[in-house]
Amino acid sequence: MTRAAAPGGFPSLAADLKEAFTTWDGAPWPDGRFDELALRAFALQFETNAPYRAWCRARGAGPGTVRSWRDVPPVPTAAFRAVDLVAGPTDAAALTFLTSGTTGGAARRGRHLVLDPGLYRTSLRAAFRRFVLAGAPPVRILTLVPPPTAAPHSSLSWMLEDVRQAFGAPGSRCLAGAEGIDWAALAAALAAATADGSPVAVLGTTLALAAWADRREGATGGPPLPPGSLVMDTGGTKGRAGLDRDAVLDCLLPALGLDADRAVNEFGMTELLSQRYARGRGPGLLHGPPWLRTAALDPVSLAPRPDGEEGILCHWDLANAGSVLAVLTEDRGVVEDGTVRWLGRTPGAPPRGCSLATAELLAAQERQDA
Amino acid sequence: MPEPPAAGRAGPASAKRPDPPSGRCWHLPGLDSEAVAGEYEATTETGGRVRAPRLTTAQAIHVASEVRAAALEARRERRLAEVLDAASRAAGRLADPGDPAGREAADVLGRELGWSAAASGRTLRDMAEVWRRDALADLLERELGDPAVLDAFRPDPDRPGRRRRALGAPLQFLVLSGNVPGVGVTALLRGLLARSGLLARVSAREPGLPALFARLLAQEDPLLGRTVAVTWWPADEAAPAWEAWSARAGTVVVYGGAEAVAGVRARVGAAADLLVYGPRTGIAVLLPDAPPGTAAALARDVCAYEQRGCVSPRLVFVVGGDALDAGAAVAEALAAEAARRPPPPLSSDEAVRIRAVRAEAEFAGLAQGASPGRVFGPEDLSWTVLAGGEPGIASTALPRTVWVHAVPDVAALLALLAPLERRIQAIGTAGDRGLAELAEGAAALGTSRVAPLGRLAWPPADWRHEGKHQILPLLSWTDWEDAAG
Repeated sequence: MTRAAAPGGFPSLAADLKEAFTTWDGAPWPDGRFDELALRAFALQFETNAPYRAWCRARGAGPGTVRSWRDVPPVPTAAFRAVDLVAGPTDAAALTFLTSGTTGGAARRGRHLVLDPGLYRTSLRAAFRRFVLAGAPPVRILTLVPPPTAAPHSSLSWMLEDVRQAFGAPGSRCLAGAEGIDWAALAAALAAATADGSPVAVLGTTLALAAWADRREGATGGPPLPPGSLVMDTGGTKGRAGLDRDAVLDCLLPALGLDADRAVNEFGMTELLSQRYARGRGPGLLHGPPWLRTAALDPVSLAPRPDGEEGILCHWDLANAGSVLAVLTEDRGVVEDGTVRWLGRTPGAPPRGCSLATAELLAAQERQDA
Repeated sequence: MPEPPAAGRAGPASAKRPDPPSGRCWHLPGLDSEAVAGEYEATTETGGRVRAPRLTTAQAIHVASEVRAAALEARRERRLAEVLDAASRAAGRLADPGDPAGREAADVLGRELGWSAAASGRTLRDMAEVWRRDALADLLERELGDPAVLDAFRPDPDRPGRRRRALGAPLQFLVLSGNVPGVGVTALLRGLLARSGLLARVSAREPGLPALFARLLAQEDPLLGRTVAVTWWPADEAAPAWEAWSARAGTVVVYGGAEAVAGVRARVGAAADLLVYGPRTGIAVLLPDAPPGTAAALARDVCAYEQRGCVSPRLVFVVGGDALDAGAAVAEALAAEAARRPPPPLSSDEAVRIRAVRAEAEFAGLAQGASPGRVFGPEDLSWTVLAGGEPGIASTALPRTVWVHAVPDVAALLALLAPLERRIQAIGTAGDRGLAELAEGAAALGTSRVAPLGRLAWPPADWRHEGKHQILPLLSWTDWEDAAG
């Protein structure tokens, strides 16, 4: 069976996807629906990106052989450092997101070009509405991440700014800039919300929440935040020694008068335009929209691991229609019944006695020269 | 030539790795184990647990005092020859498959590295070449001329009327951050020959062997056994022993990466000598007249320690040749070596990292169009050759993974390597054309060794590791001038 790219190319596919995302009623999608859209996306990406096409061909994969989303060969995230994985001309990209780039000792940063910010917006809003707001009335959104004007290549900045604008009640603010977080403004905003009885959602990285918890430690807790308030963190602890998300929540939630289920954990990656969310403490079960499918794979053979068994996480994300559908991460995790338990990143280049990454050799050299 | 290690249970990472280590990784003379309040604990690379007593400041100081007292007693009660006897016997037992201790050592090491006991046994036997009594005695002879200076004052042969004596610090603190199999034992042997009392912090990745050696030494000679303390604690903990041991040591020896070295540097007292064995890499150079069979020799060096060693050749430069042709030849040799000596199962992290470097290189090649690089290697990731592309010096220590680049001549190669000054441990060569220029350049770069490929992974016992003598830097000399002198 040969499957040509959708007539109309990317714009037509993106329009269909936006329609599907917007009209999602919270129910899972049948395999057939995901497959139909995934195969259109794959065919488009195969047709429009020459390096990706060559890479697929080297693995015997093409629109003629890929029959299901699981057959789409996953691209390791490292590829984003080497090539623009974009389903069209690179100058057509409206947004350029960069990875933080330091993980694994890589000198270069990964680059994810976004052809259609509208498609990204539609995906992230639909999932945020369902998994974070969960049908509640609008809340004041306070973000602890610099806005896109200060961090133009951060997908997280872009996302948080978008949900703040889309869902934030009056009084919503971005409380961070290039210089860091304005803690006084956060305290004032929380006091105002408490005085008004307006629920707030504080969104930031796990490290930002940890810094916030440090600042509250020892201080007398203020009045509890109004009912309906929540905190959302993302990014994990990036391996920072001694930092434990649960300990941060244990410090922060009682001080804010929030129950554990008012703490949301977001899982997102620069290389993926959809996100997953979990609630509460611990490595919670991450739920995502039906256009994002995830499998745990054997790290060597890439065979799918049985439900409940640890593997390397691989995502098939239809919101990535304009770049690359199947992304193989460096994350360890478990998939159970379509939900994901994230267990952490692989620690990067294994530290190896006296034989170490050249990046470290050079860093040592630079320090010596400095 | 010693054989490279291999695993009995070879295969993809999904194949079962050996059970993780759970062995005892400490030997603490004078410690009242009843008084130990708790334990440090960590999960290792291979998923095992490392545990060690949580020493208080008083306990760490007490152990240091006991070790120091025993070392001073051993200087009086034991001749160097007796130290050589006992230490080489204890180390030799680690590599003796007929000795229960040797089987335990192979088992401990295998579980730590995820290798089969057979493969680790072979590696231990390779390492034991430099632990033999004659090798150690030869090393002392070569560095000191008259090793008896370690027992008593001896006449200085070049200065009539002068006698000289050499001793290490009463206490040496060793930070064994590395996980190259057996290097920790070599470091302890050097310290013993310097007649020092030894306080060693082992790495969580290879915690078992140094303590096992210390226990065997105590069996061979209880007094010498009391001159060595070994334990582990988490690097990021403010463990009392960090301060207590580094403050009391006259010499501090650190093996490991830049971070480990910086951490120790900050703690060491101003009066102590600090000896650093930092991160280095091996390089292979195929000169224009490299003989046939070169790729096979290189493959043996690559597989010997699964690219863990500072002499392991991760970067291969073909001078005046074609990177893709050379890459294909290296690939063929690695495939043959894999058939002869199947590699140990990969850890999940290793598989992820190998797949990442392959993807990055492959996509970079596909994106370039002209002069693309190429990735060679089987789907099971058991070996990888990343050939061609822009010549560079980036590489990562990954099992059986090499980067192959072409350079027009030796001068261009040396220019390319300039940023790696004092970071190249060894250069393995094949061919003669340009070899003298390369060796001169290697010396300028602070490379400690130039050797034919096929021998790179097996440095001789008297090799000047990182360009330093092995024993001399641990010693302090006393000259005794006669009134008549």
